[in-house]
Amino acid sequence: MKLLISPLQRMIMGLLPPWGPVGINPIKSAALNAHQFLLRQNFSGKPGLVTAIDLVNYWQEVFEANRIPEAQESSEYIVSYVLGAKTFHSLSASSISTPLTAEQQEQVQQLSAKRLQRMPVQYVLGEWDFQDLTLKMRPPVFIPRPETEDLISLVLEEASRKNKSCLDNAVHQCPPTTPLHVILEIGCGSGAIALSLLRKLPQSQVIAVDKEVAAVNLTRENAQRFQLQHRLRLFHHDVSSSSREELLPWGPVDIIVSNPPYVFHEDMAHLAAEILRYENLDALDGGNDGMRVIKRILELAPCILKNYGSVFLEVDPRHPEMVENWLQSRPDLFLSLCATHKDFCGKPRFLHIQKTYSR
Amino acid sequence: MRLLLRALRAALGLRPAGAGLGGKQPWRPLSATPDLTELFAAPGLPRLLEARAGNGELAARIQRLRAKEQELQETQELARSDENEDLRKLAAKEVISCQEEVAELKRQIILLLIPSEETDNNDLVMELAAGVGGQEAMLFTADIFDMYQQYAAYKRWRFEILEYSPSEIGGLRHAVASIAGPEAYKNLKFEGGVHRVQRVPKTEKQGRIHTSTMSVAILPQPTEINLSIDPKDLRIETKRASGAGGQHVNKTESAVRIVHIPTGVVAECQEQRSQVKNKEKAMKVLHARLYDIQVEEVTRKRCSNRKIQVGTRGRSEKIRTYSFPQDRVTDHRISRSVHHIEKFMLGEELLDEMIKSLREYADYESLMEMISANEQTKLT
Repeated sequence: MKLLISPLQRMIMGLLPPWGPVGINPIKSAALNAHQFLLRQNFSGKPGLVTAIDLVNYWQEVFEANRIPEAQESSEYIVSYVLGAKTFHSLSASSISTPLTAEQQEQVQQLSAKRLQRMPVQYVLGEWDFQDLTLKMRPPVFIPRPETEDLISLVLEEASRKNKSCLDNAVHQCPPTTPLHVILEIGCGSGAIALSLLRKLPQSQVIAVDKEVAAVNLTRENAQRFQLQHRLRLFHHDVSSSSREELLPWGPVDIIVSNPPYVFHEDMAHLAAEILRYENLDALDGGNDGMRVIKRILELAPCILKNYGSVFLEVDPRHPEMVENWLQSRPDLFLSLCATHKDFCGKPRFLHIQKTYSR
Repeated sequence: MRLLLRALRAALGLRPAGAGLGGKQPWRPLSATPDLTELFAAPGLPRLLEARAGNGELAARIQRLRAKEQELQETQELARSDENEDLRKLAAKEVISCQEEVAELKRQIILLLIPSEETDNNDLVMELAAGVGGQEAMLFTADIFDMYQQYAAYKRWRFEILEYSPSEIGGLRHAVASIAGPEAYKNLKFEGGVHRVQRVPKTEKQGRIHTSTMSVAILPQPTEINLSIDPKDLRIETKRASGAGGQHVNKTESAVRIVHIPTGVVAECQEQRSQVKNKEKAMKVLHARLYDIQVEEVTRKRCSNRKIQVGTRGRSEKIRTYSFPQDRVTDHRISRSVHHIEKFMLGEELLDEMIKSLREYADYESLMEMISANEQTKLT
């Protein structure tokens, strides 16, 4: 699939002059002439009198003319970011109508030029929000999707259930120095899941692994951003090639959580250019049945999970049934699917699997 | 010019300057309530106190008041007729401190009598909307929004913007904010209503004075005990609803809209880049709107004749005028005016004093209502 975007093609894309008020994109020049005109009128005619609204409207039209998806949103996010806000709606009334400085206009233009090359907005801004955290984003590390925010809530519910039973049974047996929950995250990417959990569970410890150095580094930077590195153990590690013995020193853990690559290989060709050109496709491609990494995680889970420990996975809506069948064919794993949760669109998206018994 | 102003004022239903609210007359004292002696002289009050004597704290205060009043009488007698001059002087001093204590006890008794609303300690959701007057009304709405945001900072409350839709020239069409902190609702509940501005708008080229309005609604934020919602009654709408979702899609649109199906009440949020955060905030607004409906049903029956209304009843009422030409803010419910409009709109002491007066007046009204209700039960 990666053949679609050949390295050569990427190089050519990179060599194109960034599109701006004076540059002309040779491919789209016909479509852009009108905007060029508008730009000259607006910007060179009365410099310094361009407001946030003018800029948003202008770049939205440019994006639309170039068939960039989410033209309005992209334009709004970029202008808001330059003005120091998260969204256009959170800008105050006065800052929307205040003219932008030449530097700010320049910055908007530079960021918009990246968006014109189909770079995802999250990479264009170099940051995005996940739950309470504003995380650094850098290509090609996978950009967390909004669905995954609900995965956090599910893990938190499980943790508070455990918490309660721990408090009920053994108030005096849990010394305050040992963490209440040890959580393993497989494929941490930017660190979104690991860091959200650390933030919400102040007595927890997270072990996070990723097979890409870029991801491990980004998770580390994001952890430092929120001063969470002390409770995070981070490893550059590929679970696909590791043996059970290699993982033993990490265990036993209470919870394993993962948003593994789960896209069916045949679907990869249909993904948007934003994903195909910029994101690490290994973080998405789950093999022919989308279950290559899911199966690997479940094979490793029993030996690092405590008895009655849980695995939380985000999956494709076709997977819950497939995983359940597969688990039934593998009684040696002592795992059972105890719940399937829907995402906010009503699609079965999250699996809660529990370890039932161990020798 | 004067005539014109007068005509304008008459057209707007304002009393002419000088009559009642006139500039030359001294303004009413800070508190619009009658003084304590007057209140305690009212025949209804002792009967009300008698009826409430079951309240231990109140009963103890009343007893102390009676004892103090007895002591005051004796000391006064002493100060008037004792033979020894030194003793008379000493007694006269004593009288003053006795009077102070009596006043303080009376104040405490009144405070104990005034019922506190169930929601007084709740957080709240404040909704602002531009009214009549086009762009100028929106500019004024933005000013009022800033005023309350600064007031929240002045009171050290947490102020969180939930919805904000600005107009193109720096005004504000509509906004929703959540305000949390000690006694936030108790203080702000009387700010609900129509606020009116008279000034020369920024957009006006000929220097004419315009009158525009905006409205404020204050909704108490329910706690979990106050309100329960069945998740099945909610429909959560996002732009992501169609398509594969998950890893297949990388979209940035994060707006969330929640519909409460049985009532049709809607809340939405697009302030955040995180969809979950938008959902949490929209849920907050939805809860406040549903709770408002619930509270409204309960309070509709009582509190009918008060000048100061809270809830939807007070929302359509013109409560305050910000007159820039006269540099004066007038609250029509308590006929109180303050000068230095710009200072008032900083959302600091001047607004705080106005709110205090409103609270005192509302307390006075509810006390009067209680006295008369008590009298009626006596009669029947």
